[in-house]
Amino acid sequence: MSQVQGKAVLLRCPPGSSLQDEGRMLGTQFGIPSSGAMDQFSYRWANHLLQNQNNALALEMAQPGLKIQFEQACKISLAGARVVVKVNQETLSNPAIISIAASDILEVGGFQSGSRLYLCIQGGFQVDQFLGSGSDFESVTFPSKRSSNDCLSYFSFPQSFPIGAKPKWGTTWFESAEIKAYPGADWSLLSAEQQHQIQTSTFHLSKFSNRMGIQLEELIPNQLEDLPTNPVFPGTVQLTPGGRIIVLMRDAGVTGGYPRILHLSEEGQSQLAQKKVGDPIRFQLMESIAVG
Amino acid sequence: MKPSYQALSPILGELVWNQSPSDELLGYQLAYLTHIQNQYSSDLVEVRQGFTRLSLVWKTLLNQQEFARILKDIQLDPIKLPDTVWEVPVCYDPAFGHDLAPLAESKNLSLAEVVHLHTAPSYRIHFFGFLPGFFYLNGLSSKLLAPRKSTPSIAVPPGSVAIGGSQTGVYPMQSPGGWHIIGRSPLTFFDPKQLIPVWAKPGDQIQFVPISVSQFDNWKEQLPKSVQK
Repeated sequence: MSQVQGKAVLLRCPPGSSLQDEGRMLGTQFGIPSSGAMDQFSYRWANHLLQNQNNALALEMAQPGLKIQFEQACKISLAGARVVVKVNQETLSNPAIISIAASDILEVGGFQSGSRLYLCIQGGFQVDQFLGSGSDFESVTFPSKRSSNDCLSYFSFPQSFPIGAKPKWGTTWFESAEIKAYPGADWSLLSAEQQHQIQTSTFHLSKFSNRMGIQLEELIPNQLEDLPTNPVFPGTVQLTPGGRIIVLMRDAGVTGGYPRILHLSEEGQSQLAQKKVGDPIRFQLMESIAVG
Repeated sequence: MKPSYQALSPILGELVWNQSPSDELLGYQLAYLTHIQNQYSSDLVEVRQGFTRLSLVWKTLLNQQEFARILKDIQLDPIKLPDTVWEVPVCYDPAFGHDLAPLAESKNLSLAEVVHLHTAPSYRIHFFGFLPGFFYLNGLSSKLLAPRKSTPSIAVPPGSVAIGGSQTGVYPMQSPGGWHIIGRSPLTFFDPKQLIPVWAKPGDQIQFVPISVSQFDNWKEQLPKSVQK
C-alpha cells in the first residue's frame, strides 16, 4: 500500500490528552513508569478495527472538546467513552470507523458515559519512539502531553481498505460496579476483619484520580507498617498507613512500599479507567491463581 | 536463599524472599534475573526488581504455570556483585540541604557529623523505582534513620540528596517528595536523550563525596567518576 505523510492539527485539545500505546516495558528497569492506554480494552479494539499493529499510537482523551483537522485523507476509529462525534458539523450515528477526507474537521462532544476516549488512525500516529514506545510521559518524552495547535503526524493511505462491517462498541461492560481483583502479594497480612470489609464495602472514586492512580473515598482502618520497597504494576491496589486505598494506574512508579493488597484483573483495570469521580465500585475477589 | 513463587494474576507473579535486603540477597536476585532473562525471554513481557521480590509479567498463564513448576529445580549460585563504585559529589550546604539542620538537631548530631555519617559508607544500588533514574540504595547508617516528613515538599529540585525512613537517594528530576533533603549533587541522574538513560546499574555502588558551594557552582561534568574497589 503506498503511503504519503499526513498531518492533523489539534485546533482544540482538551487538557489531559496524550498519545498512548501498549506501554514502555523496556523502560521500567530504569524506573520509568510503563504508561500506555489507561483502558487497554478499548484502545486495542479501536486499533483492531483499523487492522493496525498492536502497539500503534492512539490519542487518549479524558475530557470532551476535541476539535481536530486532518490535512490528508485517512481512516480513523473511536472507542471507549460514549460521545457525540461530528465531522464537518454533521453528527455521526455510528462513529466506530470513520473515513476522513482531506481537510475534514472532527469534533468530540460531551462524554455521555465513560471517562476515556481513544482516537486511533490507520497506521498509528507517528512519533520518535523511546525504549520501544511512543507513549507520552513527563520528563521522559518531549512533548509529554498534547495541547491546542499541536500537530500530529500520520501516514495517509490513498488506496485504503474499504469499510465493510459496521462495528459497534458497547459501553455496558464498564458500567458494572463489580471489579474483578485477585488477592495481592500482601493480602494475607490483612486481618480477617479488613479482608471482609474490602470484599463487602462499596467504595467511591475520589477526586484524586489521574493516570498515576485512583484513590478511593472510604478508608480501611490500618495499622500495617510500610514494607520493603518492591515492584508494583498498573492494577496493583495499595493500602496506605492512613487507611487510604490507592489503585495504581498506567503512569504509577514501578515500585512502592505500601502493602499491595489486591491486583485488578486486566478487564478490571480497563473498567476502572472508564469510571468517573464519585462512581461506586465493589471488589469482586477472585480465587488465587494456582500454579505449580 | 531459594525463593518461593506467588502468582498474583493469570500473567503476573513474583519470586519471594523473606530475608532482609542485603548484598547476599541481591546476588541471588541478580542470578535469578539473569537466568530468567536468558531462558525465558520469549515467554516474558517484563521483569521488575524490588528489595525482596523479583516480579515477572508472562505472556500467558501457561508460561507462568510452566515456570512455577520447574522453579524448585533451578539451582543457582549468587552472582559476584560488581566492583564499580561511582563517586557522586554532593554539596551539603544548608542552602541546598534545607532539612539538614533540623534533621541533625532531632538526632543530637552536628551538621558535620551527619555529613560524615552519610559520606562514610558506600551504598549498594538495588534497583530503580519511584521516579525515572531514582536508585534505591542499601547501607544507610542506623544513626540517620528518619521517618518521612508528615507534609511532603511540593517541588524537590533535581539532584537533591535525601533521607527517608531507612533509605537514602537522589531525586533525578523535580518532583514532590516526603524525604529529608540534606544536600544537592550537580550531576545528571537521568537523561532521556541517551539510549540507556542512567549511568549506573543494580549491583554498582555509590560513594557520596562532599563538595563546597563554589565547587558545586563550577562543576562541569554531568557524569560521575567511577573507581574499581
